[in-house]
Order: sequence, then C-alpha cells, then structure tokens
Amino acid sequence: MIGDRHDPRKTFGAAVSEIAATDERIVILSADSGGSSGFGTFMKEHPERYFEFGIQEQGVTGVASGLATTGKIPVFCAIAPFVTLRNFEQFRNDLGYMRQNVKIVGRNGGFTYADLGSTHHSLEDYAVTRMIPGVTVLAPMDPDDMRGAVKAMLAHEGPVYMRIGNAPIPEIAEPAEFVIGKARLLREGSAVTVVTTGYVAADVLEAADALRTSGVDVELLGLGTAWPLDEEAILASAAKTGHVITVEEHYEVGGLGGAVAELLSGNAVAPLDRIAVPQSYVPTGPYAEIQQSLGLDAASLQRRIAELVATRKG
Amino acid sequence: MTPTVGELKVRAERARLNVLRMLTATRSGHLGGALSAIDIITALYLREMRVDPANPKDPQRDRFLLSAGHKAMGQYAVLAEAGFFPAEVLDTYGTFKSPLPGHPDMYKLPGVEANTGALGHGLPIACGMALGLRLDGSAARVYTVMGDGELPEGSNWEGASIASHHELGNLVAFIDVNGLQISGPTAKVMDMSPIGEKFAAFGWDVYDIDGNDMAQIVGLLESLPRTGAKPSAIVAHTVKAKGLSNLEGTVPSHYWKPTPEDLAAAKAEIEARIADLEGANA
Repeated sequence: MIGDRHDPRKTFGAAVSEIAATDERIVILSADSGGSSGFGTFMKEHPERYFEFGIQEQGVTGVASGLATTGKIPVFCAIAPFVTLRNFEQFRNDLGYMRQNVKIVGRNGGFTYADLGSTHHSLEDYAVTRMIPGVTVLAPMDPDDMRGAVKAMLAHEGPVYMRIGNAPIPEIAEPAEFVIGKARLLREGSAVTVVTTGYVAADVLEAADALRTSGVDVELLGLGTAWPLDEEAILASAAKTGHVITVEEHYEVGGLGGAVAELLSGNAVAPLDRIAVPQSYVPTGPYAEIQQSLGLDAASLQRRIAELVATRKG
Repeated sequence: MTPTVGELKVRAERARLNVLRMLTATRSGHLGGALSAIDIITALYLREMRVDPANPKDPQRDRFLLSAGHKAMGQYAVLAEAGFFPAEVLDTYGTFKSPLPGHPDMYKLPGVEANTGALGHGLPIACGMALGLRLDGSAARVYTVMGDGELPEGSNWEGASIASHHELGNLVAFIDVNGLQISGPTAKVMDMSPIGEKFAAFGWDVYDIDGNDMAQIVGLLESLPRTGAKPSAIVAHTVKAKGLSNLEGTVPSHYWKPTPEDLAAAKAEIEARIADLEGANA
C-alpha cells in the first residue's frame, strides 16, 4: 500500500506546531532554518516562543541546553549534518551528559540533499547520535509515523534526535500508535527478515512486495526508532526466518546495520547482511539516480535481497 | 546580614583553605585558575546571588555556571563555604565516584548548574538559562566565569552574539584574565586582546576590574544595571594562583602537584593572612 505523498518538512513542522500551540514549554530554535523546517506559521502565531539565531549550530545547541534547565522543551531543526556533526560535542556534553530534554531534528537526512553534495549529506547521524548515552534516535517512515513520532518525542523526557528527509514521502501503512523503541511488523513472512528505518521504508516495502510476488516471503520490520533497537522483535524474527538483512540510507559502518550486528554478535541466531551506503563520498545529482547508483532504489533492493537470500539459503 | 568587603575577604581566604584541603586528598589539581577566580566566585555566592543552600533548585534562584570548568576547585571551595554541602565532602576530591570530580557535575553536587569542562560551552548554555528565565518572567540572573584561555573557542563568540542579539540583560559574564595557560602566556599562545573591546563590539556593556580586589568586585556588582537589554562582560584582571606567593603568576600552578610540605607552607601563609584580616575586621 503506497498512499498519498506528503512533504516531510511541512508534515513535521505542522505536527510540532499543533502540539506547541497549547504546550507553552515548547520553544522553537532556528539557525536560519525555521521557515524551511515547517515553522512558517508558528513563527507568526507564537513569536514569543520562536527564536532565530542565524547560522550557528554549536551556540544554538548550548542555548537549547540552558533553556531546558528552566523547564522548556526546545526543538531545534536544521540540515542534518549541521545539528549532529558541527555541534557534536555540544550534543554529547550539553544535551547527553547533562540529560537535557531537548529535541534535535536533522532534516534533509541521508543524501536527500542530493545535488548539494557531501557537505550537506548526513550518512553518519544514526551512528554518532546513538553513541551518546541516553539519546533516543527516531527515524519515522511515513507521514503518519512522523506525526506519531513527533508526539512521542515531545512527550519523551530526555534528548532525542530525529532524522527526516526532503522529498515528499508516501503513506505506507495503516495509522498506528507510535511507541518509542517498538518495531512495526510491516509484512509477515518466513524466508528472510528485512529490517529498515526511516523514510527509505517506502522503497524497501515496494521491494519486499515485489519479492513476495516472485516467491520470496519477506518479513519486513520497520523501525520508527532507529535507537535503541527493538531487540525482542528483531531477535524473534531472526530466529524465525534464520536470515537478517538491514537496509538503510546511512554509511554501512555504525548505523542500523552496525547496531543489528552488535545485537546479533551476542545472540547469533541468524546471519546478517547489511545493505547501506559504502564508505565513500556519494555522487551528486538527482536523488533517484544516486539511489540507483548505490543500489538503494526499490528495483535494486529487490534484486539484491533476492541474491542475498539465494546465497544464504544455497 | 549582607557581608562586608572585609568579611568577604576572610571568606575567600577560607575558601582558599578549602582548595588546599581538596588537594590534600589527591595532591594534584587545577590550582592556578581556581585561585585566580575564587574572589569573584566568593563575592557572587556569598553576597551577590540570590541562592539558598537549603533549597538549591529554587526556580527563582540566580544561576552560576563555571564555563572554565577546570577551575572547579574554586567553585567547590565556595559552595562548601556557603553551606551547600558539608566540608567533609572536600576530603573526597578526585577520589572514585566523588561528588567533586575534576570538572563539575550538576547531578553530583548541589549548587552546580551545568556539566562544564569542555571549553567554550558555558556561555551559550548561560544564554539559554537567561532566555528561559526571561520567558518565565523571572527576575533571576545568570552569572558565568569564563577563562581568558578559552576565548579562542569559536562557540564563545556564538554565545556573545546570542546574548547581545537577544538582549540578555540578565546575563553577567566574568572573564578571568589571569594571562596564563598551560603552554604559557595567553598573549603568546593566542592573543585574544583586546578582550573588552571584542565584547563591546558584540554589543555588551563592558567593565574592567581587578578580579582579586574584593572591594572592586563588590563595588562593580552593586553598580551593575539591574534592568536593561545589554549583557554585561566583566574583564577581571587576576593573578594565577592568587594568594600563594610562591606560585602566583607561574605556569606550573595551572596544574599543581604539591608535596605535603608545599601544602603545609601554603596553609600557614593563608592562615596568617586570615589572622591579619580578622584583626583588621575586629
């Protein structure tokens, strides 16, 4: 089921704004990034809780920490690498170590800022944020999942990182309550467990459905929470199918595949294959062409998963 | 009940004794900066700030944030002197799981507001506190002590721009200019002078004082505008390891590894000064 497409930034901004309209603890911080993060309406309706800082992510992250010490819930959204890498030490110390209730949102994650190149791509964000003790990493899969993730993120006490994309994303599943740390069983199957996270779930689902049609019975777990893992769901499915494949738009080191590898290293119930972005600076150009060049589009995923299943079963 | 300048001088010397007490346990620590800033921290906690050791999380309290987190012994010494925790805790400094680590931890010790130590973090956090208090309509103020050695960190200047642009008149930043860092004179390592002019150019009200002169510190704090849009930067000229004559103005005092004899001599020097000061106050 691939439904209507929605702009992720507008969906995100509207979801936060709706809750923030009645929760005065929520403050929006912008590093010249508010309008493009979907806060155009909020900044007009609630200028007293909307703060512009210009282009400086280290300073804003520190400010977010200080605001949180006074009971505010700061939400800071900007281009993903600038709110995870540029400010990494502030994220680790001022938010993580200080256990502050701050929500950092990296938009245009992965290589969705396709033609802008590697300075604007974010293929390390799951890895670096999940390394910080106490940080929850969210990667909603579709518009409804995103609305649920925003609600859960704002209700959650503690630092959260959320990755969202750029291009409009389709509804891929029936609306369901978003529970932090819980996987969603998007397809039930027995041949292989495919685990994915974030907006790439739409392509993975398309590949999975095509595989099922061709006789490869894929079980698909979608993680709206990239970290911490839903260990129980992954291990149970792995034990059932005997083969796990992770799919993500992230470097193959340290992301979802790395996290699942860490999990399976202590629970060797099934072999693991990881489909991710190789350790290189990816080409620039239209998003779909980058995806194809890296074998991450739905058709390539269908082929690669079929090959991996055949190899492991053979 | 407001302590006089003479009384504050004695309290600052007692805080210096607390620093020696901490070093007795571990025999190593960031002494020089702790002692250059300790007069300022004493004036803040024991006279200027509205804080209550019995209610250290009072939402209306003034905040103090040690941006130069390695001066932690200076803050711990004054917190003990102010009654935030029993003096016996000083003896645990640097020991396993002590509430007094080498850099302050807000979850381990009452009165500590932030986990500082990585330089260049304090001012933006202080800005966020000041902004949050203003949003709450609170009259509380935020004070921070920065070091001159941390000024090359660019995040300080992000904070400087934020405080000015967002008109954080409830923020007061002391820059403890002791002129020395671990590699030598700050002017040679990375010359950030003129410090005051830099903050002024960012839009701050700037003041110059002798940061080891209690009368000047108190006088300035009394004269600071209580309202207004501009944050205050106080360029406090100090002496590294102030109060220990053998170490004053020396680089090795930055991280001191005293022998028991060193500690005994230092204690005798401070106690003699306390006796003189108490005599003068009597």
